[in-house]
Amino acid sequence: MACPAAAFAQDAARVYRIYWLSTQAQPDPFLEGFREGLRARGYVEGRNVVLELHYAIGNPQALREVATELRRGKVDLAVSSGPATRAMTTVAEVPVLFALSGDPVELGLVKSLGQPGGNFTGSTFLSLELAGKRVELLKEAFPNLRKLAVLSNANHPGEQSEWRATKEAAKKLGIAPLYVPFAGGNELDGALTLVGDAHADALLVFPDVLTMVHRKKITDFAIAHRLPSMFGWSEYCDAGGLLSYGANQRATYFWLATYADRILRGEKPAGLPVFQPTKFELIVNLRTAEQLGLDLDKSSILFRANRVIE
Amino acid sequence: MTRPRRSLFMKYFVTLFVAVVAPLLLGSAVEAWFSFRDNRIDLNERLQVEARSAADRIQAFTDGIRDQLGWVVQFPWSQGEDDRHRIDGLRLLQQVPAIVSLSLVDPNGTERVFVSRVSMNRTGRGADMSADPAVLGARANKVWYGPVHYQRDSEPYMRIAVAGNRAAAGIVVADINLKLIWDIIARIKIGDTGHALVVDDSGRLIAHPDISLVLRSGAGAVDLNRLKSVVNAAEGSAVSTTGEDGKPVVALSVRAANVGWTVIAEQPVEEAFESIRAALWRSLMLIAIGIVFASGLAYWRACRMWGPIRQLEAGVERIGMGQLDHRITIQSHDELEQLAIRFNQMAEELAVSQQKSQRINRLKQFLAPQVAELVEHSDPRLLDGQRREVVAIFGDLRGFTAFTARAEPDAIMAVLREYYEAIGAVTARHEGTLIRFDGDGVMVLINAPVTCDKPAHRGIRLAIDMQAAVQSLASTWYADGCALGFGVGIAMGPATVGTLGYQGRLDYTAIGNVINLASRLCSLADDGQILVDPVVTEHVQDSIALASVGEQPIKGYDRDLEVFAVVRRYATTRRLGHPFVPGHARSAAAERDRTELQLAETDAD
Repeated sequence: MACPAAAFAQDAARVYRIYWLSTQAQPDPFLEGFREGLRARGYVEGRNVVLELHYAIGNPQALREVATELRRGKVDLAVSSGPATRAMTTVAEVPVLFALSGDPVELGLVKSLGQPGGNFTGSTFLSLELAGKRVELLKEAFPNLRKLAVLSNANHPGEQSEWRATKEAAKKLGIAPLYVPFAGGNELDGALTLVGDAHADALLVFPDVLTMVHRKKITDFAIAHRLPSMFGWSEYCDAGGLLSYGANQRATYFWLATYADRILRGEKPAGLPVFQPTKFELIVNLRTAEQLGLDLDKSSILFRANRVIE
Repeated sequence: MTRPRRSLFMKYFVTLFVAVVAPLLLGSAVEAWFSFRDNRIDLNERLQVEARSAADRIQAFTDGIRDQLGWVVQFPWSQGEDDRHRIDGLRLLQQVPAIVSLSLVDPNGTERVFVSRVSMNRTGRGADMSADPAVLGARANKVWYGPVHYQRDSEPYMRIAVAGNRAAAGIVVADINLKLIWDIIARIKIGDTGHALVVDDSGRLIAHPDISLVLRSGAGAVDLNRLKSVVNAAEGSAVSTTGEDGKPVVALSVRAANVGWTVIAEQPVEEAFESIRAALWRSLMLIAIGIVFASGLAYWRACRMWGPIRQLEAGVERIGMGQLDHRITIQSHDELEQLAIRFNQMAEELAVSQQKSQRINRLKQFLAPQVAELVEHSDPRLLDGQRREVVAIFGDLRGFTAFTARAEPDAIMAVLREYYEAIGAVTARHEGTLIRFDGDGVMVLINAPVTCDKPAHRGIRLAIDMQAAVQSLASTWYADGCALGFGVGIAMGPATVGTLGYQGRLDYTAIGNVINLASRLCSLADDGQILVDPVVTEHVQDSIALASVGEQPIKGYDRDLEVFAVVRRYATTRRLGHPFVPGHARSAAAERDRTELQLAETDAD
C-alpha cells in the first residue's frame, strides 16, 4: 500500500508539477475532489506539489496547445477530466490520468482495462452501461413516460455510444426518445428551448462537465417545465434534479489522487489498471418531486435510493 | 639463563580474557538461539492467526451472500408473481452491495426475473438456463460457487447459485463483484508491511491490498502459482520464499474451505526477523563491549600480577649478584606486597649473616674452628675493643738466629713449618687464641675474645703442652744437627683487646702490661723453661708444681717481680752450643735445675 510519509522522506525537496486540464469552468467540483485526495496522501499545494490549471471552456481544441506545451515543459503528470482527454491523445511523453464517462479502450487511450500499456490510465464511470439503466429508473418512477427528451453535449467523448444505448433502452421500454444535442456552452440555451418546445414527458441529461457546470440552469428549467429529470451524478440532484444514478464523482476524483501519488513515486501508468466504480448511487430529490406533483411512494424507487433529499 | 617462551603476563592475560569472554559468547549464543526460536514460533502463530482471520472473513463474506440469496428462494413459483420476485431481487441488491446482478430461475430452469445494478432489468420468461452449470450445481448441492472470472480482463467476478429448500422454490444465480473482498484483505496488516492475499485454484489473484494487482491479474499479468504451491507445500507452517513482488517474504497459507481459495499471509523477511536482527545486534554489541572490557581488565590484572613479579625477579637477580642492600618496593596491598616485605627481610638477614660469616672468617685466623663456631652464635661485639682479664703466652725459639745464619733457607722454612704446625695444633686443642707468629716467636691469648673458665689453668696447660711439643720437635731437629731450644713466658692480667688495623687488614690484638710481662718472661726463660708471673701462679699453684726462680727486674715495672717456673717432668736431652740465656737470668736457671728433680713428682697433669 502507499506510504506517503516514506515517499516524502526520500524526496522531501522535490516539488511536483501537475497539469490539470479541463473543458469545464471554475469552480470545478472535480478539481476539489482531486485536491482533497492529494491532501489525504500528504501533498501540500505550493510545498511539494504545484497544480497548474488549464481551462478551455467547451473548447477541447484550445487544449491542444497545452498538450504541445506539456511535451516540452517539465511536467510530472497531467490530469484531464472529461472531453479534455481528447486533446491529450497525442501526448506520449508525460503520464496522463483521465476520468471518463465513456470507454477508454474504445477511445484508444488504453490497450485493456487491466493493463493500459501506455502512458494513460485513470477511471471510467461506465456511463455507457448505465445509460439504459437511467431510462429504466426514470420509467419506474414515472410509469406514464412516453416521450423522453435527451439533452447531450455532442463534444463529449463516447457521447454517440451513450446515445445509442439510451435509444435502445427507450425502445425496449416503449419510450420515444428525442435527441437534443448541443456543442459548447453557448448552444445550451438553444437546446433547452428545443426541449421546452418538444412537450416531452421527462428529461434525461447525459452526465458531462458542461451540463454539470450548468446543472442549476438545467434543473431549474426542468422544474419550470414540469419535467421529471434524470441525471448521471448526485451533484445534479443537489442542484434540484429529480433523479440521478451513477458513480460518485467526488469519490472517483479523490481516488484518482491515489494513482497520481503512485505515478509521482515512480510507477508506470502502463501497469495501473483503469479503475471502474463499484458503487452506483441512486439519489431521489423528494422536494423536486413535490414541486412536480409526483407521488413516488408507490414505486420501487424510494427503497432503492441510496440517498433521499427531503 | 634463558627466559621461558611464554611469559606469565601472556598466561594471565589470556586466562582472564577467556574467563570473561567465553561465558559472554556462550550466553549470547544461547540467547540468540532461543530468541530465534521464539521469534520463529511467534511469527508462525501471528501469520496463522492473520491468515485464518482473513479466511474466516472471506468465508463470512461468501456465507453472508449465500444466506441472503436464500431469502429469495423460499417461496415456490406461482403464476403472476414475477413482480413480487422482481421486488425481492431489487431489495436484495439494495441489501448486498457485492451482488451486481441476479437471475431468478424457476423450477424448469427458465430465467423469470433478472435484476442488475448496471444492465436493464428483465421480467418474464427469459432464456433457458437449465443447462447452466450454476443451475445444475445448485440443484445438486443446494449451493454452487462458480470459478472466478475477470470482466473485461480486469474486475474479478464470481457467480454463486443457491437452490431453495424445495425444488419448486427455484434457483437464484447471483453475479458477485469480488472487488468488495478487497476491503477485507486491505484491512489486514501483519506488522508494518505484511499483508494477506487471496489466490484461486488456478493461481490467479482474487484479493490483494494493492487492488491494481488484482485488476491486472485478469490479463494474466500476475502469476501466483509458484508462490501458492511453495506455501501450500509447507502445510500450514511459515515458509521463507519470494513474494509476488519479488521480495523475500515469510508466508503461510490457509484454505477458505467453501470457495476453495487459498489465503496467503506474508510478511517481508526484513521485518519478520527484525527483532532477531535487533537481538543479534544487541548480542554483538555486548560481545564487542565485553571483549574491550575483558581485554582491558585482563591487561590491567596481568600487569598488576606481572609487574611485581618482574620486580621480584629483578630484585632476586641483584641480590644474587651481591647487592644485599637492594630493596623491593611493591604496594599492591596483597600477598605480593607481603612477599616483597618478606623478601626484603630475607635480604636483610642475608646481609647480617654475610657480615657474621665475614667476622667468623676473621676470627678463624685466631681461633680454633670450634671456637669460631661458638663465636658465630654469640655476641657480634665479641671482637670489639674492651678491657678484660687475659692470659698471655709468649714462646720463642732459642738459638734460632745462629741457626738461620748457618742453615739453608729450605731447612729454615722446613723447621718453621713444623714449629708452626705444632704450636697451632696445641693452641687449637686448648681453645686458645693464636694472635700471631713473629719469626720464631709466637703469641697466644686465653680468655679473649672468647671467655672461658679458669683461664690461668688453661693457659698453664697450654704452655706446658706447647713446651712439650716443641721440645719433642727440638729433639728431632737436634738429631738433624740443629741445636734449637724453646722458652715460654706466661702472665695474667687486665689488657685491652680488640681488632686493630684498617680495611682488609685487621688483627685481633691485646695491649697492656700483662703482654709486656709475658713477653719479658719469655725472654728470660731458658730452653725448656716456662716462666710464670705471680698472678698465674696464684691461680694454678694448687694443681701445677711451680717453683720460684726469685725476683726479677722487669722492664716497665717499678720493682722486681717474683717469677716462677713450671717444674719440668722431663729432662733436656741436649745441650745448646752456646749460652743464650741473659746473664741476669742465669742464677734462676741454675736454681731451677737444682729443684727440677724434686718437683717432677708433683706435676700431676
